[in-house]
Amino acid sequence: MQPDRHEHESGTSQRKRPLTGSGRRPPVSTDAMPAVERRQTPRVRSPISDIPKPIKLEDYGAVIGVAELDELRFLAQGLRGKGLQVVNPPMFTDGGKGVVKRLVSLLQELDVPARIVVPEIVNDEQLLGDLSAAVADESLAGQKRLKDAVLAQSDSHAKGMNLDEPFVVIHDLPYAGVVKPKSRNQSWIWRCSFDLSQPGSSNWSWLKPILERYDAAVFSSQRFAPALSIAQYLFYPCIDPLSEVNKSLDPGYVQQVCERFGIDRSRPVITQIASFGAANETAGVIQSYQQAKRDVDCQLVLVNSGDGHATDTATLSEAKAAAERDPDIILVETRSASEINALQRVSTIVVHMPSSELSGLPIAEAMWKGKAVIGSAVGVIPNHIIHKITGFLVHSVDDCATQIRHLLQHRDIAEQLGHNAREHVKENFLITSSVKRWLLLFQILSGKPARS
Amino acid sequence: MSVASGTDEQVQRLPVRWAKTPFYFNSAEHLVRLEQARAGNLRELHAAIASCSEDSVFQHTFRTLQEHHFIREGYSNDFAQWAYFACNEPALAEQLSAVDVREFTSIRSLRERLLETLADYLKRNSDVRERTAREPFYFCSSSAMIVPTPFVARNLTEFAKALERINVHCLHYHFIEARLRLQLKSNDFSLWLQQQMGLNQAADLINRIDIYTTTLQGVRNRILRILETTVA
Repeated sequence: MQPDRHEHESGTSQRKRPLTGSGRRPPVSTDAMPAVERRQTPRVRSPISDIPKPIKLEDYGAVIGVAELDELRFLAQGLRGKGLQVVNPPMFTDGGKGVVKRLVSLLQELDVPARIVVPEIVNDEQLLGDLSAAVADESLAGQKRLKDAVLAQSDSHAKGMNLDEPFVVIHDLPYAGVVKPKSRNQSWIWRCSFDLSQPGSSNWSWLKPILERYDAAVFSSQRFAPALSIAQYLFYPCIDPLSEVNKSLDPGYVQQVCERFGIDRSRPVITQIASFGAANETAGVIQSYQQAKRDVDCQLVLVNSGDGHATDTATLSEAKAAAERDPDIILVETRSASEINALQRVSTIVVHMPSSELSGLPIAEAMWKGKAVIGSAVGVIPNHIIHKITGFLVHSVDDCATQIRHLLQHRDIAEQLGHNAREHVKENFLITSSVKRWLLLFQILSGKPARS
Repeated sequence: MSVASGTDEQVQRLPVRWAKTPFYFNSAEHLVRLEQARAGNLRELHAAIASCSEDSVFQHTFRTLQEHHFIREGYSNDFAQWAYFACNEPALAEQLSAVDVREFTSIRSLRERLLETLADYLKRNSDVRERTAREPFYFCSSSAMIVPTPFVARNLTEFAKALERINVHCLHYHFIEARLRLQLKSNDFSLWLQQQMGLNQAADLINRIDIYTTTLQGVRNRILRILETTVA
């Protein structure tokens, strides 16, 4: 579960040039092109109030309906007073921590006493921060390194953590080894946020027995699950509809954001929000835009948002060069949740073309805003994008270009996709759905009669 | 004027008929469980459908309608969807889409129909049996908990008012899943209207609502319109 966005304003754009009377920006000569500049204009006032009001469970009623809240309260009834400990590795992103924190606070409101435990990492933090690669590593050295790192955590923390509540959730590998032998009084759940479908055989030989000591395992996608003898459940990573990056915005603020970054709202906007680099196919998105633009007028907004991937300087240079040649390519640097929210809202199409995707949160955020989304068919994305129903799944740059052209020339289809996309997120990818899944799982593990 | 309030005003002019047995609106919440079975081609799909649990067949046919309740058309069941987009077999996808869950009162018979459809297709198109799909079909199942709602109807007015307020999961439970529970080609709403309210025609019209060409919200609206017409 994972990323939300940071809360500060630091947005810059490649340039800010006035619109001509036609609404199009004048061609830019390379000599006159300034380098990426700091914002000179007054800071755009964020819509965030000085003292944000704490978000409560009842606030979600306006989003999901009172009937859904009643269901959550019912599901929590048999769990009241039964404690939950959630063990998070410290290398979780701030966004990931934020989501877990919100989840825990909602459970607490439902009288399920939940708390987060964040033990220290005793060694090899870098390795444990890139679990997919570590587990897939077939080399003997890699296997030993990972095994030593995981077992060191469990040896160091097992007794000190006092994990004695009825429900214990362990996130990912760093503390996977602390699981106690099965007992009637406790349920241990292993929450996996990475792709474990193809573990290296040498790693699997020691890891599988550890994981099978759990009562259940939870995965973000059916594609990520390995063969385990324990029950495995599907929990989509979810977004918080009331967070800064997802909540409704004042139209005036949205307009200010567009003006500051030089986005012409009278013309179609194609947007990608992801760090610049090969991992997010930034160059491919530019190519798709350029191909589509031969037939349809549009702008491309590339938002370097710091999504956990480092910015690739070569890709950034190429993007800048492309922007210098084409005034309709707008590069934006921002970590501001509100600005990202606004940029998603003004988009006609949102494109997300990573080479792998563990959370799908950028996709879910765009879908929540009712946008037509084009995404690469990797990782969790096919769970979000049902092809031709909630968006388009693509497998190449050419395919992406074709779909961009198609959607811009058939805006009714784009609108229907956006409508379906929002409903799909509402049904399956909101944090309240996550709360429901956890409550159901706790009920099942408590031996409550579950009808199959 | 809402349908319910219109119904309310009209019903108030008629003698109120009270049900001997009230209608208790319930819902069901499901947790999706990942199964080990997977299919990488159509032959494997056939084999896996033949051997998977009934929960799995239910998940990929009945339950998927709830998960995708907002889709007006173009999504019948997960098997048809996979045949079209992962296997590139539109003809098979059409045939699988035509499998209407409303015709079945048991998972056993539904499974038999799916297998028959697949087997016929593979017999006529043997060259596609082993063709690797773009991505595997991952079998899932679901565990459910019944969740009561605060809504109870003892007469038609209360029934219509409750219908306006229940969520789509409750609708799915009473209108689509009910067939398996009742083992009848009907639904909870129609049965209650027929047995408790004597509204046979309305019950029949409601049972005929096509769930595959509308959303669950659309189903709700149609039921309300039928009720409104009935008391008019």
